[in-house]
Amino acid sequence: MRALVIDDSRAMRRIVSAALEGFGYETRQAGHGQEALDVLQEGYVPDLCTIDWNMPVMDGLQFVSAVRANPAWRALTLMMVTSESEQGQIVRALAAGAHEYVIKPFTADALRDKLALLGMLPEEAVL
Amino acid sequence: MTLAPDAVARPTIPELIDEATVEAIAGEAWVALVGEDEVLVPLPADLPAETLSAWVDVVGPWTGSVVLTTGRQTAADLTRALLGQAAPELLDHEDVADAFGEIANVVGGNVKAALPGPSTLGLPQVGEAPDVRNPADVCRLEVLWRGQPLVVSVQGALPALSTPHPNPPHPNGASL
Repeated sequence: MRALVIDDSRAMRRIVSAALEGFGYETRQAGHGQEALDVLQEGYVPDLCTIDWNMPVMDGLQFVSAVRANPAWRALTLMMVTSESEQGQIVRALAAGAHEYVIKPFTADALRDKLALLGMLPEEAVL
Repeated sequence: MTLAPDAVARPTIPELIDEATVEAIAGEAWVALVGEDEVLVPLPADLPAETLSAWVDVVGPWTGSVVLTTGRQTAADLTRALLGQAAPELLDHEDVADAFGEIANVVGGNVKAALPGPSTLGLPQVGEAPDVRNPADVCRLEVLWRGQPLVVSVQGALPALSTPHPNPPHPNGASL
């Protein structure tokens, strides 16, 4: 399975990528929503996108809306991974089309649990 | 004398959050980001002469900044702890600014969630800490991490900061 990790912090991209790779994912990274859209438009279509909220150029909510506006990307699973933890923000993200919401700080186990709920854990991580 | 409406209506931070809550938020961030065994000990100590600050602005019913300040070497040590095995052999300023800024972002985001909303959260900034504008509008937590001093300051901004632009260019460059 493939994941695109979208976060403006290099450190956080490394942390999320390392956790996902530990579960068996292949990962790519993008520093903001527009860069992630460029990756998708190049033809790299992952199974999962993890998306920070507050980023320069294009934020996570705008990215989710852009993905949901394109039927070609309907199968993408979108997971917000963000320090935005107000209830209203969570509702906005889910209403825009995100499937799941992980609040920073998180542990690898919490991320794994959310992926399991979505049925997005690669087989080797389930066994 | 008549007070400006803003001064009457806006609560100060001690009315909204206490040190124990900020300590719990910072402690949870440390365990999750820095390491399971990494604890913050609530003891005051003098900061060294060479410090680095990372902060995020919160704009809403309460407006201000959540600022983390520590010694430059401690900020570098935090970066190594955060990155773990992915840490480069030689850290540059961008590595430290990125990692320290992200810790401030996580702590700030969770402080924001504990305050009345809705509020917006700015992008992390790193450098010299913003000035305290109103000493009565500050919640200051002094802790030790691995024996080194670190300060978390939730400090109001009066007059109010402007609302952060939703997608400004990153204040510390694209790498943050």
